[in-house]
Amino acid sequence: MSKPKSKAKPTAGDAVRAKKQEKLSFLARMEYRKMIMYPLVVFVIALILLAVNFPTLGIDLRGGVVVTAYGVNANPDELAKYISDKIGVDVRVESFTGVETSGVRVYAPIGTDPLRIIDAMKEKYPAAEYTHSEVQPTFGEIAQQQGIRALAFAFLAMAVVVFLFFRNLVPSLTIIFSALSDMTIAVALMGIFGIELTTATIAALLMLIGYTVDSNILLTTKLLKRKEDSIDKAYLSAVSTGFTMSTTTLGALLILWIISTSQTIDNIAIVLIFGLLADFMNTWVLNAGVLKWYLTREAVRGGKA
Amino acid sequence: MKRRTKKLLLNWRIILLTLFLIGSIVTLAVRPLTFGIDISGGVALVAQTEHPVDTKTMQLVTDSLQKRLNTLGLRDITVEAQGDQIVLIKVANVTSPEEANQIKSVIESQGVFYMEFAGTVFGTGNDVEYVGIYKINPDNSWSVPFRISKSAAEKFAELAKGKAGWPVDMFLDPPVNSLMIVPESVYKTMNSSEFNANAPEAPTLLERITRAFNISVVAYANQSADEIVKLAQGKDKIVLVDVPGELQTQLEAMNITVRYVPRAQGESDHALIVRVLGLYGPYSLGEGLTVGEPQQDVQITGSAPDRLTAEQEASTIYTVLKSGSLPVKLNVVGMEFISPRLGEGFRTQALYAGIGALITVLLIVYFHYRKWRIAIPVASTSLFEAVIILGFAALIKWNLDLPSIAGIIAAIGTGVDQQIVITDELLGGEKTTRISRRSSMLKRMGRAFFVIFASAATTIAAMSFLLVYFVGTLKGFAFTTILGVLIGILITRPAYAEIAKYLLGED
Repeated sequence: MSKPKSKAKPTAGDAVRAKKQEKLSFLARMEYRKMIMYPLVVFVIALILLAVNFPTLGIDLRGGVVVTAYGVNANPDELAKYISDKIGVDVRVESFTGVETSGVRVYAPIGTDPLRIIDAMKEKYPAAEYTHSEVQPTFGEIAQQQGIRALAFAFLAMAVVVFLFFRNLVPSLTIIFSALSDMTIAVALMGIFGIELTTATIAALLMLIGYTVDSNILLTTKLLKRKEDSIDKAYLSAVSTGFTMSTTTLGALLILWIISTSQTIDNIAIVLIFGLLADFMNTWVLNAGVLKWYLTREAVRGGKA
Repeated sequence: MKRRTKKLLLNWRIILLTLFLIGSIVTLAVRPLTFGIDISGGVALVAQTEHPVDTKTMQLVTDSLQKRLNTLGLRDITVEAQGDQIVLIKVANVTSPEEANQIKSVIESQGVFYMEFAGTVFGTGNDVEYVGIYKINPDNSWSVPFRISKSAAEKFAELAKGKAGWPVDMFLDPPVNSLMIVPESVYKTMNSSEFNANAPEAPTLLERITRAFNISVVAYANQSADEIVKLAQGKDKIVLVDVPGELQTQLEAMNITVRYVPRAQGESDHALIVRVLGLYGPYSLGEGLTVGEPQQDVQITGSAPDRLTAEQEASTIYTVLKSGSLPVKLNVVGMEFISPRLGEGFRTQALYAGIGALITVLLIVYFHYRKWRIAIPVASTSLFEAVIILGFAALIKWNLDLPSIAGIIAAIGTGVDQQIVITDELLGGEKTTRISRRSSMLKRMGRAFFVIFASAATTIAAMSFLLVYFVGTLKGFAFTTILGVLIGILITRPAYAEIAKYLLGED
């Protein structure tokens, strides 16, 4: 290709792209054994973390009473003591802040009348806005089973579709394992950061299936179908696209997390952030490592035949 | 350049996008979005039937709940059956926590009502067609007139022929199909003619409930938990009445459903039995009803020691008859109350968050490519996508709740990802020569769309299970995700590819 480029002027965008690819080229230079090993180590650590510190179940999965008061600015410990004294039931208080308003959530065991908590709090904060919810353990159990089944079925469906699209055992299995590892790491991080497992966070984990498969499919497609470039070049082009994809999504999620005071939206955003961070490693290191190993092995085989 | 612009604008993909956009904006203008309880405010209740029921019974449950809540003067009620055991009730425009709790107690107090004669159930709450105003007489006797269905009346006439003075029992939530363990004295009372009204020759209460409801009664004689479990084989639950409390813990440890009823202070055997069985009556059968003629207009009569008690008894019966038309007992297992003012806050927040996320996407995409020519189309395609999803939601009156909004976010998130895939494939082609460019570009687009279709297919496959088959709030999430992905691959993604090709100077 000695012919000069038809549009010779490299634009600012090209420079940025080149720079990005260069920055990420350390990934391309990594040896595939290490690429496979490091994420596996992280996966095992996540599993161990899950075994010792599984996220607590939210009240919609376990049963319980929660009263949320908006427009309250209080020390959680003092407030908990005040309410516990007043109604004779041990409660736990958590505070939260958003852009417009701050508030507290009061958690009480099942059987507590939420109206008594609200009455007790109204004496102190008459102007606050109150909402409450309560869930019986029996329904919590149903929700748990449904949640587990939802995750299992969604995962299976994803696996089947991935197989149908690639019809190739090693790459498909790697994608499926990546998704599994993403979810495992996200759940482990939830445990560390004290984010409860609720129907909302289960929704987020389901969303992760969609997000993570995206980048994995991109990588696998580029490496398996892009015959005109070398593996490294194809990999770099995929990783720079993937990097753009992830940072964009992460940025949007971060904004969502900052602006919203709805616990549902907050938790969904944060779990997705965990998952996407994990996915960055699992796609561009683990999956890429396996594919490199697989492609070099195929090439060797092909050469012999 | 002009020609290219015209060609772009006349491209069917762009036209399709434009049409959908206009359609959505018009729809949103004439038919505003409806929001879920968690955004618009109100109370959402999850009720569970005592045991799984068939579709027909479930229909009866939802119908009667709807009717009952309507009679309370509540508007904007949706009652939705999910699966064979869950009923979801949503009431909008509920403003205070107290009001929310009242709705809950209304649903819970709605019991299953049975009319029984000589050990046969001849009617349930569904057979009560009309309830008249109750009457209190000067002698503190009372009466509640009501009309029963023709089939129940016929059945009763046949059963009651020639049995004047026999007892008629009404039950609200009797412990159907259970084993009752009661003290010796209670057992004797149940098995005597104490509950036989004016007909000592009629079957005893014990015989009647055994035949009608499959309730077995056993006198407590220090049986061990194991022995009791053996007796309870095939029963739904065990009811422990005034027996040592540790039996309850032992039985519960064996994973058995137990209801424990202690005797209240100074409560007589009679009162205890009435309470445990949810028994109203027995009412003695007047001669007029025993001639074998079906009679639909009947009444329950009773007498009380004073006016106040009479009033209470009559009004209880009245309420029971009026509301007790559920074919199966319902328990409220979850409730959520969101005040409308808060909901308002959530809505503006969701809007801000959406706009914030969009601007972030715009800036980050610009930062990556340093080209507004890419950043603006990517961000606006996402905006279009959101508008079309919302337009569609408005069209079919989908209730947008928080999970639904999360679903929209998910769909748009994957949308941005896929636009970046398209963009990078297009940009990657810049360096090749002009002749090979065209064919290579088609190949690249093909590859981009392979990625897009594969990931769309996985998302849809994963979510469709949720949509068709699960209960609870995740349905909204699944719905909007699938909708968003479909709109993405069918409308916005192809259009974006055309725009990007145009803007990046590819033909």
